[in-house]
Amino acid sequence: MMLSRVAERVYWMARYLERTENTARLINVHTSMMMDLPKRMEINWFTLINLFNADDIFRERYERVTEKNIMQFLIADRDNPVSLASSLFSVRENVRTSLDLLPDETWQQVNQAHIQLNNALEVIGKRHTRLNLLRSLQRACQCINGVIDSYMSRDHTFDFMQAGRQLERADMSSRILEMASLLMSEQRSETMRKYEGILWTNLLQALSARQMYQQHVQPRVRSREVLKFLVLDEGFPRSLRYSLVDIGKSLGNLPEPELALAMQNRILAHLKKQDLNFSPDAPVHALMDHLQGELGELHAEISRTWFHPDRDGQMQSQ
Amino acid sequence: MKLDWNNYDPGPFYDELMAAPLQPREASYRLVDYLRNQTPARFQQCVQESEAVIREMGITFTVYSDAGNIDRAWPFDVIPRVIPGEEWDRTEMGLNQRIRALNRFIQDIYNGGQAIKDGVIPEDVVMQSKGYRKACEGITPPHGVWANICGSDLVRHSDGIMYVLEDNLRVPSGVAYMLENRNITKRILPEIFNLLSVRTVRDYPSHLYDMLASLRPELEQPVIALLTPGIYNSAYFEHAFLAQQAGLVLLEGADLVVGKDDYVYMKTISGLERVDVIYRRIDDDFIDPEVFRKDSILGIPGIMRSWKAGKVAIANAPGCGVADDKVIYAYVPDLIRYYLNEEPSLPNVPTWVCRRREDRDYVLEHLPELVVKPANESGGYGMLVGPHSPPDKVEEFRRLIQDNPNNYIAQPTLSLSVTPTATEKGIAPRHLDLRPFILSGEDIYVTPGGLTRVALVEGSLVVNSSQGGGSKDTWIVDESDSGREEDTEGEDES
Repeated sequence: MMLSRVAERVYWMARYLERTENTARLINVHTSMMMDLPKRMEINWFTLINLFNADDIFRERYERVTEKNIMQFLIADRDNPVSLASSLFSVRENVRTSLDLLPDETWQQVNQAHIQLNNALEVIGKRHTRLNLLRSLQRACQCINGVIDSYMSRDHTFDFMQAGRQLERADMSSRILEMASLLMSEQRSETMRKYEGILWTNLLQALSARQMYQQHVQPRVRSREVLKFLVLDEGFPRSLRYSLVDIGKSLGNLPEPELALAMQNRILAHLKKQDLNFSPDAPVHALMDHLQGELGELHAEISRTWFHPDRDGQMQSQ
Repeated sequence: MKLDWNNYDPGPFYDELMAAPLQPREASYRLVDYLRNQTPARFQQCVQESEAVIREMGITFTVYSDAGNIDRAWPFDVIPRVIPGEEWDRTEMGLNQRIRALNRFIQDIYNGGQAIKDGVIPEDVVMQSKGYRKACEGITPPHGVWANICGSDLVRHSDGIMYVLEDNLRVPSGVAYMLENRNITKRILPEIFNLLSVRTVRDYPSHLYDMLASLRPELEQPVIALLTPGIYNSAYFEHAFLAQQAGLVLLEGADLVVGKDDYVYMKTISGLERVDVIYRRIDDDFIDPEVFRKDSILGIPGIMRSWKAGKVAIANAPGCGVADDKVIYAYVPDLIRYYLNEEPSLPNVPTWVCRRREDRDYVLEHLPELVVKPANESGGYGMLVGPHSPPDKVEEFRRLIQDNPNNYIAQPTLSLSVTPTATEKGIAPRHLDLRPFILSGEDIYVTPGGLTRVALVEGSLVVNSSQGGGSKDTWIVDESDSGREEDTEGEDES
């Protein structure tokens, strides 16, 4: 027996944990890339805001587009629902209310990360301290995931967490992959073309995929291959396809998964039939947009089936 | 440690960062200004953090004699060395010109020796070079290029001019440290990159890969391996780093075998697989016991056969070390004029060749003022620095030169430039050099900057890491681009 309420908590805990790690890595990698690029280019600090579809809320809250404001918004701003502070707060809340199910160390690790972030909020205006913070947050998330992976029985708690983790991962990856449409645009500048290698490598690194891409596809970083790898590879645990297959496996272990599985299947089938011969005018942006919508639907179905079987269609907001 | 830029005094030397006391050069202005405004405590924190980062990133080099503790942390100085973009563009052109001439020379030497016939260089000078390999005669490697990876050492004299000190053509090392030095700076001083534009070095591994792949133009996706002497080699960290970054198979001689069909194969869990390009990091002396040193256990019997048949490409090509010789060095400016019909744009250090009678007489007469080098040593071994040597050492070299003049050259004692360096006594001037890396395959690529090595001991001119040298991040700074765009304004610097 597992309570719906409990299931929903561990599911969200895993989603927020994945979001925290991915966001921290994304900001870190992006900052490192900015140090390598000349100053005027289509890809800049604001690209990060675009990736989170947070243009409106950012502009509401900040007058000027500066590195400092963007970082404040993405890291510390609790009014931004996708900021690191918000994500980590939600991880902690969900762990705090699921202590009976999770390995002890999870709680300690989460608290440490939380304290670290709060202590550093004052100094994130400085790149140096900010980058150190992001690195240690990434490490904390890796640690928590390691504890969960190696200490937890493969039961329903684990299945919900795994589904949440992979769903969030797919969502984040699809956002980061939208950057690819910028990189492939026919209208991109000469400067951008000159730094293409670095930009694509950066995309791989933002998804922790550089080494595995080089080992399993080819050492050369080529746009079409990179895109194919990140979308369709069967063996890389961060490709969109892998995430979706994995979601299917986890959901399949749960009671009465038919509706959710049908939806998961639909998304996977749609992905697989993409002709990823990514020409410059390939609708990468449209594909990723569509995918994000579909993942939202899948979440709604999971919520209907297991978290709120009593009511229709309501869900906790992301 | 006190952080006193006001009392910084480079003495009689050319200083890379400072034009005069208190006055940074134009390209280094923003850097020096930034560093000057740090409190000593914050600066000290940077130094400590760099040490921690180096340990954490596991950046090491190996010292043979340190039994039991073979990995040493990489000695790194936090204050970058700056070169203006404009100066670098000229230097890059000079390096490009030089490597083209050197490769034409090596190709010529193994294929008829027209330069010898035309009297540009004496035959016995070429033949005495330890790097000459008879087994390479008649061979033309892909694109006619022999030295695919070259690390040329540049030094700046008190006249402000950058000279080529030597060309390392055999297995030049250090490029991994160039890359890691930038990574360290990005971690400990990320704010600085906001103030100026530093040319990136990050794509070196992909240039390396493309160059290696270009050696087998007929293959769609050649299998490329990096051949290391193994985990006890002093540069093993670099071998593993480059293989990981560029996506090369890291292997040792024992992993390879030459088949009956003369192709080179690696032993894998699914049997033998062909290797098409080998980036070798072992001396060619050891590469094939059938042809060179019989006692080599590092090499692969038969690999020369395979190479000659064009069934494997080897970078650098065996035999390319012929041009990595201090006597031949003296002839490089003439070789540039001869092969390219161009004037050398990067000067050599003036060099006396002891095999020439007048040169030798001059050298023996002025021995205490000169630097004397044997033809075929590297790493700063076996040389005499006249002004810094006791009389008996000078006399020892007098005998050596008289006994074997062909093996020696001499140069004026250069007054190497200095640069502000963090020492235990505060910011102090230390001598330095620069090793850019030049890749030649189908195209030529020169790293923007290279590895700056610095002599950490006061007054010392020895920059080799095995002998107390350290290194610095090297910045090519473009002035036209030095203002930051508006959107980063307001960075909190408190």
